[in-house]
Amino acid sequence: MLRFIVGRVVGLAPVLCAAIVATFIATRLLPGDPVAVMLSDHSADVQMAARLRAEYGLDKPLPEQFVRYIGDILTGDFGLSFRYVHMPVWQVLKDSLLISPLLALAALALALPVGALAGVQAAAHRNRFQDTAIIVVLVAGLSLPNFAIATFLVYLISVKLNLLPVAGWGTFRQAILPVVILAIPSAAYIARLTRTFMLEVMQQDFVRTARAKGLTNRLVIYRHAFRNTLVPLITSAGIIFGGLLSNTVVVETIFNIPGLGRLAIDSIFARDYPVAMAVVMLFVVFFALINLIVDTLYALVDPRVRDGAPA
Amino acid sequence: MLALAAALSGGAGFVLSPAMAKTFRVNVVADPAQMDPITYSEIVAGRILRNMYEGFTVITDDGRNVPALAEKWEPLTTGPGFRFHLRKGVKFHSGRPFTARDVKYTYEALLKPGGKGGLNATYLNIIVGAKELKDGQATELAGVKIVDDYTIELSFTKPDVLFPIYPIYYMDSGIVAELGADWMTKASAGTGPYKFKQWRRGVSVDLDANTSYWGGAPKIDGVSFMIVPNADTALSQYDAGELDFVDVYAAAVRRVLRDERYAKELIRVPRAQSTYLGMNQNLYAPFKDKRVREAISLSIDRNAMIRGLYGGAAFPLNGVVTPGMPGFNPNLPELKFDPERAKKLMAEAGYPGGKGLPPVDISSTEAFKDEITYYANQFNRVLGMPVNVKTVERATFIRAMNAGEVAFFPWGWTADYTDAAYYLSQMWYGPSPYNRPRWKNAEYDKLIDEALTVADDDKRYALYHKAEKVLLDDWGMAPVPMTASVALRKPNVKNVTLTPFGFSLFSKIEID
Repeated sequence: MLRFIVGRVVGLAPVLCAAIVATFIATRLLPGDPVAVMLSDHSADVQMAARLRAEYGLDKPLPEQFVRYIGDILTGDFGLSFRYVHMPVWQVLKDSLLISPLLALAALALALPVGALAGVQAAAHRNRFQDTAIIVVLVAGLSLPNFAIATFLVYLISVKLNLLPVAGWGTFRQAILPVVILAIPSAAYIARLTRTFMLEVMQQDFVRTARAKGLTNRLVIYRHAFRNTLVPLITSAGIIFGGLLSNTVVVETIFNIPGLGRLAIDSIFARDYPVAMAVVMLFVVFFALINLIVDTLYALVDPRVRDGAPA
Repeated sequence: MLALAAALSGGAGFVLSPAMAKTFRVNVVADPAQMDPITYSEIVAGRILRNMYEGFTVITDDGRNVPALAEKWEPLTTGPGFRFHLRKGVKFHSGRPFTARDVKYTYEALLKPGGKGGLNATYLNIIVGAKELKDGQATELAGVKIVDDYTIELSFTKPDVLFPIYPIYYMDSGIVAELGADWMTKASAGTGPYKFKQWRRGVSVDLDANTSYWGGAPKIDGVSFMIVPNADTALSQYDAGELDFVDVYAAAVRRVLRDERYAKELIRVPRAQSTYLGMNQNLYAPFKDKRVREAISLSIDRNAMIRGLYGGAAFPLNGVVTPGMPGFNPNLPELKFDPERAKKLMAEAGYPGGKGLPPVDISSTEAFKDEITYYANQFNRVLGMPVNVKTVERATFIRAMNAGEVAFFPWGWTADYTDAAYYLSQMWYGPSPYNRPRWKNAEYDKLIDEALTVADDDKRYALYHKAEKVLLDDWGMAPVPMTASVALRKPNVKNVTLTPFGFSLFSKIEID
């Protein structure tokens, strides 16, 4: 097992290297010069432009900039931000670092039980009114874009009813709406998964046996059928978490939350290459970690994966 | 869920702070790029710093420059320069007194190599010894003489009557010794009505009232600049009572102007931004003919633009200097929409119905795409001019304009200090790189040179008016409508407004 995990971690290295090269090239290909952005209307100030260019190493040829950048990564400070004057990238990042993963985690913690319960209910009342009603809600939850739901809920709950803050970050109340909105599509997805798994499980012999024993419907569903859907559900939670992490970008923008997603967008628009590259790398690390966890979970469940035998 | 809440509060900088009763909350569009008066170069930082730092003079809400840290000044008798008499009894946020030493310290910090002085450092270039200090040949600024704690003399290499109004913020010379090189993350080093409390990146910059402010302690406890990039979010926060004053960004202006609910809370002022349609005669030959330039101006229906394109959130501009700016000429004739005369002029210039005109791009940034589409359509329809629309990334576009490489474009120039010279000496003066359409006129340049040596305001303004008329008579450009700044203010908030130069000073705000 340990060998499996070590092997996976070593396998991350080329992924990270590829990410570093790709982000470096992508940011340098963007139209727009960071020094011109810094100076904005005053970019005719050649003295100032030359000074800034030298200060940030932008006067050097690209290969040399790349080597310097690798050096900055190895020393751990990722260089200086272009947007925030004289601030190391790490200092810009550090307040945002945990926000996006926490949002995603909170949304997952909400989506899992809600989604699972809805899925079970739908399966238990297959083709009856409850099932149809739940499916309609699911389809809506999956197909309505996040920002549309967010706008509607903000208008209703925050502006009209004044129950929760419109936007911002810093209090628990401010986190409620973003987490709920982030959780909606995932909850719907989980519900659909659960329903499918449940319907499959309920066809099986042991369920028929349980019924034959004379157990109540509730016991059959929760103790026997639902337990068997938990395993595939938990393994898909990793993938769902990854999706949630990407969706934080949208929610952070709508709710004005200073997380990594918003930072990524802001820094790209400001041509703040060092910050943009560091954020992209952090996301790569997060996704790699999620995949590692999911793979480990699979390996735990299925010995074939662990032993490297063909699945 | 509880454990998660605890994790959230521990890990991500959560603080459970009850809303303070007397904090003035206002939105800004982005994080400031810096929080110190030396490297400061951009507009958000400017809006915040203005409440913590002061210069020799300050802009009043009606756009006048009045003495602040300098009580009075007179020209030197020995050569170009000024003797400033500093205000006594002014204390920095640290409690240290403000004296002539701090003035000298500020200049040197702005000019020193490695001191990383921002854009405002350029205003100091005329002080004797500035170049030597910048090049590292000197360690002190030779042209500054401290006469006593409250008197300082500055010698210039050439006359500059506007020096007292340049936006230089004076800082506490003892702050680095007290708090270290990164002092700006911990405190403010100014004399202004508010002092730095904290900057939560992406959330807010919070200031506390300076209870020992020389101009009288503020009547509120503090100010929060909430960082809200999205126009609709800012408006929703205002609706929900999370902001006391909202700077309405362009994307939400139409909605606000149309909504009756806001009528009583609405503030609308013209921006101190001189807007024009630039025509570069070096790049498009037909622009060399004055008749063509006049015809361009005549075929713009400015009233239709204000009503339609801007939904009422704009004001007409008939010259270079914007209303409210010292040196504005209220007597300029209104610019008319006259398609018939425009067509006639084009025919006289040899382009009847646009025949023989080579194609030209009208270009600008994404933000101006509606404007350039309107112009292209209008010039095509009225003059038969083959105009194509082109949008360019902002920084690239600005650099191209500064290099004089753009033929035909609408743009604006926002004033950093309150004197018409800001527009006249930068936008249309021959040697200025910000003379982006590269219009050149010897008579104009001579009038501007002369004006900048005249200390008497009215006499100087008269020269400004003359120069402005030279430009307008030559149709060196076409003035176009100025967009409005729009804000909303809650009825319980008093003594704060929007001026053409941004927010008014926050020192007298009252919240009921």
